[in-house]
Amino acid sequence: MARAKIRATTGEKRAGYGVLAVLAAVAVWLFLSQAQFNPAVIVAMNHPKGAGRLLTGQQAGASSQTASYLADLQGYSALSGVESYTPETLSDKIDGKAELYLASGFQEMSCRSFSSGDSSQARVETFLYAMESPKDAFAVFSGQRRQGALPLALSPNAYATENAVFLTSGRFYIELVADKATPEIGPALEALAQSLLSVLPRDDSQPADADLFPATGLRKDSLRLAVTDALGMEGLENVYTAEYSLPGGEAAAFLAVRATAEEAAAQAKAYTAFLAANGFKQVKAPAGLAGVTVMALDNLAQVVMSRGRILAGVHDAASAEAALELAALLTKFLEGKQP
Amino acid sequence: MNRRDFLKRVAGASAIAVGACGLGLALHDHSPPPPVPEQKALAGLGDFSIKDIAAGKPRMAVVRGSDRAAMFEQGVNALGGLGAFIAKGDKVLLKVNAAFASPAALGATTSPELVAAVAGACFKAGAARVSVTDNPINNPESCFEITGITGAARSAGAQIIIPRAGLFSPATLPNGKLIKDWPVLAGAFTGITKVIALSPVKDHARAGASMLLKNMYGLLGGRRNVFHQDINGIISELSLLVRPTLSVLDGTVSMMTNGPTGGSLSDLKATGTLIVSTDPVAADALGVELLGRTLDDVPYISMAQALGAGTIDYKTLNPVYLSAGA
Repeated sequence: MARAKIRATTGEKRAGYGVLAVLAAVAVWLFLSQAQFNPAVIVAMNHPKGAGRLLTGQQAGASSQTASYLADLQGYSALSGVESYTPETLSDKIDGKAELYLASGFQEMSCRSFSSGDSSQARVETFLYAMESPKDAFAVFSGQRRQGALPLALSPNAYATENAVFLTSGRFYIELVADKATPEIGPALEALAQSLLSVLPRDDSQPADADLFPATGLRKDSLRLAVTDALGMEGLENVYTAEYSLPGGEAAAFLAVRATAEEAAAQAKAYTAFLAANGFKQVKAPAGLAGVTVMALDNLAQVVMSRGRILAGVHDAASAEAALELAALLTKFLEGKQP
Repeated sequence: MNRRDFLKRVAGASAIAVGACGLGLALHDHSPPPPVPEQKALAGLGDFSIKDIAAGKPRMAVVRGSDRAAMFEQGVNALGGLGAFIAKGDKVLLKVNAAFASPAALGATTSPELVAAVAGACFKAGAARVSVTDNPINNPESCFEITGITGAARSAGAQIIIPRAGLFSPATLPNGKLIKDWPVLAGAFTGITKVIALSPVKDHARAGASMLLKNMYGLLGGRRNVFHQDINGIISELSLLVRPTLSVLDGTVSMMTNGPTGGSLSDLKATGTLIVSTDPVAADALGVELLGRTLDDVPYISMAQALGAGTIDYKTLNPVYLSAGA
């Protein structure tokens, strides 16, 4: 005998719908609450350990490679302990400047104060940054380059200012900052840098891409590498820039080597579109400049090209004449050059 | 099982149960630790601004020169003298920038000369106590010592408040998106009746510029680098966390490049300007000009205005322009 189907009464249905409505409301409330970003919660769940710990000599060697290099610099009196920082803690030491390093393959940093060892007895804060590669070290070195500084022979990338020395050695970026500028401080800082370089692994490999810039009119101390968001364009990476002083005026070139010719061409096209989105309009290229795109806005001119795997161009110039003069120089120099 | 065995087993089981309960009772701690009182998040660190400044009176002074003490004195006198801001018996807090263990000559931190001048002037105006604070996170004692701020404070009779864990309390800014349950340096404000902010003018890699509003970052505790993802958002919210009585923006020498740490004297430029203002937003709006930048380059200043922290139109403060000599 078939069982009679039990039908819910209206009251039961209403109660059921009520319960479901309450459950739905709870679910919505939970979703909205969870969706609200609370930095305090994020940080509490990801707390890094050991920010800027002061280390003894033995601890330094055990915990950090850069710290071990600063543990004992022959002939120099340490005025502080070694402090070491990781990507999580770097901003505790250098605040907002950490972003520059974190975008460029930063691994770790150690710092320590030494006495300059000369008659001025200056306090020299020594920073040793380990980056992933020599290219990354060059990126942070060139990104902070002081114009008009005195080049030094300490390494392929080294210069001095009134109170400091900045250099790279392989994948290491080094800053020696004295608390005063005296006539003796320059040689004293160079000697301290030599002492540090003597304990670092030797590696003078230079980013070869930079050799693709023509030498005529090049201001050598203007060479820079932007690892991210180069030329103001989001997503454009690893682009070298260099400034030129030419008969036609001041101008700046850019250059990047890509994995394939197709990639270089696509990025040239993307950068041209970026310029167009910012008000530049394409104008006819002069007869002598084949295969380049010239973009103009008022009296500004930019030139974009790709040559095989090389993306290149002129991104800043005092005049259209200077931009085209540098573009011609760059085009001629890149003929037949393929890395 | 017969009745005798059943009773035996029941008696055994009962004995084990009673023993276990007895042991539990013997080990029971009748005095548990007291419950941790729940800390209520603060809504801010206080509004210390002066409300009853007569309309038409200057609320900003822009002083040219190179002697910070003389520039501050001239500037504050143009606003009615420090007595218009500091009363007898006031307990004053100087919020400085001591973020780095960097010598004063490198311009990365508040000038000790200015700290000494302002602290001394506060005592002269009748302050009962002057404290100096910041939270550099890394090695605060070294930062205060090497910057020369400790020595300057001591010479003027002021005390340094070194940030320690017990001085931080959580704060949740009403309608804030970022400052929620976040530790702030509330302990330094205990008993404080007036606040003066003292900041250098600097380039800043992430924020575009570091001046008065950015200086309030030093009131945050915890892993505050998480806020670098929204640097403009956090600085604009900080403009509401505390409202200073007076703000002093020191552009006597400005860090033009490689900020906020600098490192080379070549990063600095003598811009010969000190701004004394009742409105830190207005002072920062003028300060960006010393760096050769515009408000578009430093979005948080306009954002702070939008939140009601002040005005970017510094001319409405009837600024007075003065010279304290070369």
